[in-house]
Amino acid sequence: MTDAKRNKEKSGEISRRAFLGTSAGAAAASLLGKSEGAAAQTAPPAVRATLPGQSAEAADRDIGNARPPVAVRAVQRPGSDLMVQVLRDLEIEYVAANPAASFEGLQESIINYGDTPNKMPEFISALHEESSVDMAHGYAKAEGRPMAVLLHGTLGLMHSSMAIYQAYQYQTPILLIAGRDDTNFLRSQSANDIAGIVRSITKWDAHPRTLAGALDAIQEGYRQAITPPCGPALVVLDTELQKEEAGDMQVPAYVPPQITGISTGEVRAVAKALVAARNPRIAVGKLRTARGVSDAVELAELVGASTSTRATLVPMSFPQRHPLCGPGSDTDYDYTLGLETGGIQAAIIGPHRRTLEGRDVTGIGYGFIREPPTPLWGPYAPPKPSHNDMHADAEASLPAIIAEVHKIMSSSMSNAVAVRSKQHAAANHEAAVAALKKALEDRRRGWHGSPISLARLYAELWILIKDEDWCLASPTQFSSGHNRVLWDHNKPYSHLGMHGAGGIGYCIGASTGAALAAKHRDRIVINIQCDGDLNMVPGALWTAAHYRLPMLVVMHNNRAWHQELMYAQYMAGVRGRGGDRAHIGTTLRDPFISYAKMGEAYGVESEGPISDPSKLFAALKRGVDTVKQGRPYLIDVLTQPR
Amino acid sequence: MQQARAQDLGGNAEEGERLYYDFACYSCHGYNATMRVPLVGDASGIMNSEQLFLTYLRLRADQNPVNPKNSMPNYAVSTLSDEQAVDIYAYLRSLNDDPPELADNPVMQEMLDAAKARGKGNEK
Repeated sequence: MTDAKRNKEKSGEISRRAFLGTSAGAAAASLLGKSEGAAAQTAPPAVRATLPGQSAEAADRDIGNARPPVAVRAVQRPGSDLMVQVLRDLEIEYVAANPAASFEGLQESIINYGDTPNKMPEFISALHEESSVDMAHGYAKAEGRPMAVLLHGTLGLMHSSMAIYQAYQYQTPILLIAGRDDTNFLRSQSANDIAGIVRSITKWDAHPRTLAGALDAIQEGYRQAITPPCGPALVVLDTELQKEEAGDMQVPAYVPPQITGISTGEVRAVAKALVAARNPRIAVGKLRTARGVSDAVELAELVGASTSTRATLVPMSFPQRHPLCGPGSDTDYDYTLGLETGGIQAAIIGPHRRTLEGRDVTGIGYGFIREPPTPLWGPYAPPKPSHNDMHADAEASLPAIIAEVHKIMSSSMSNAVAVRSKQHAAANHEAAVAALKKALEDRRRGWHGSPISLARLYAELWILIKDEDWCLASPTQFSSGHNRVLWDHNKPYSHLGMHGAGGIGYCIGASTGAALAAKHRDRIVINIQCDGDLNMVPGALWTAAHYRLPMLVVMHNNRAWHQELMYAQYMAGVRGRGGDRAHIGTTLRDPFISYAKMGEAYGVESEGPISDPSKLFAALKRGVDTVKQGRPYLIDVLTQPR
Repeated sequence: MQQARAQDLGGNAEEGERLYYDFACYSCHGYNATMRVPLVGDASGIMNSEQLFLTYLRLRADQNPVNPKNSMPNYAVSTLSDEQAVDIYAYLRSLNDDPPELADNPVMQEMLDAAKARGKGNEK
């Protein structure tokens, strides 16, 4: 026992946690639980703790004796109002946060400032900072632009770090704002350089020391986030700046970033090659925004190019069932242009994450542990560099290419394009039907089996949503990705792709963020939710219930961290020790978890578990009908492992 | 000797069901042996006889180093006996999968009809 502790016990001082841990404390806590109001009157006052380095104000706050901190003062025009005006000018729709003292000034402004308080941005309550950032991740993937997240000093940043890392890996734009307070009672939750915690996994950060600098930094953070290579950008805002009297300070006008496309010479060369080609092709990877997708469609239609897409794997790619999408009528392509993906003759590829390696100040080498550098997850792997690459943002290049094609294309060429397009459309249609027929034949197996076939789950769900405006927000590789061949991914947000780095816990938060995006856009969100993932941060369900988000959660409940079960099983086999103990530490048995009860506990209408396949369709229909009415719904489905 | 034993043993399907679960065979093949790497019906040649089934299991055990391209775990006789393997075989042979034909599956047929009706280039 340390001297300090011995002295403390001798003097009768005891910490709150220790107090509640004693039987007397437990009894008091129990009383509070049974009759909070009455017990609060009669229970002995909580004993004030004085931890080393902790002020009396901090101790009071720690035991729940909350009162306005000393730093609060009345001002006519608080600096945080101007910060909110900057967010409003940027059209930030939502700010997700778990409330915290280091940004109480900013939070108060969000909910109260202006003629339309708590709108643009709206404060979104999250139950964990990891959920906050995952929500922003899902939102940005669906909308192609950031929402904001408020994080508390060192602690909130630490809680959110895995989610930030995944957004960094996926190059998803997010505006992160961290509150910092090292002047009052939160020194243990602060640091000189809190941004340093996540510097290696963010694109940019700033810690302005003046209010004017803070307003500039928020705008610059937004610009940095949306400029390729996109990614999370962080602004640290001291509490004092939030509470400062702004006086007559004006909010600076926002100047959007100038995102560079290919050069004029390259534009001419690409346009000329596309127009001159007998059978051009355009390979489309992941663009940044819906505008980029519509421009890619316009270019393909203009030159009659067959196209490939990654829309079954990532957002912001070419519509999968567009008549020009597919192998086309002639696969002997004489000119292939890549847009954010490799092309044979040319590829326009914007700056990617590897250009941020200089940000890895810790030298950890995130995501680049092998040589040559390879990303951890394939479907959004940056294309391999080639001598045909033009290093510029493809989306920013498209308007100039389209204009140049218009300029040089003759009417006779337009006629040829029309004929070619018609031939492509017919061939692609035939290929798509044949591919679907084969896919369905392959997925007949186990149709009547229990637990339920994932192929059946995807097929029956598709029947119910195919005529809706939907967004599949969850990664699907753990549920065998049947959407890729059974569903039609025709919108920029049809499928939001994978986690970024395979981090579990992403799915429920990102889907909730996608549902925030969907809420005012007559869209529904589908979340094929893995059980292991939901158990990481289930509190996002409450956010979905509280904000009436249109999210259908269909549990892929295989009662395991199934990938790891297979790993353990294989390893045991390699070592000649059998697989009958591989379930240890990899399965969720004894007891089984009731996800319907979990959903209900958080206020989400729920049902299940469903193991009889004949009852699945009706349950899915109830779910889709509820979500279309603007309420989340959870269906616990006992599924095959894969 | 081993071959004769395997042929003669037959197998206990009930015990095989327990072993199929305990040894996590379902993790790749599905709870009904119909998923991913199906073993029911004519889906896999190794199910043609007990001997083929045993040979396949043991073949993996004899490989050194283990072929990393094959995701089938290794089941040496020291960890899964012939008797146990044959029980699993008996269980697998007791299973049936009788899914509806495409034309008799209204969900799949609706999907296919919708794809066909999508037209030949009329929508985006």
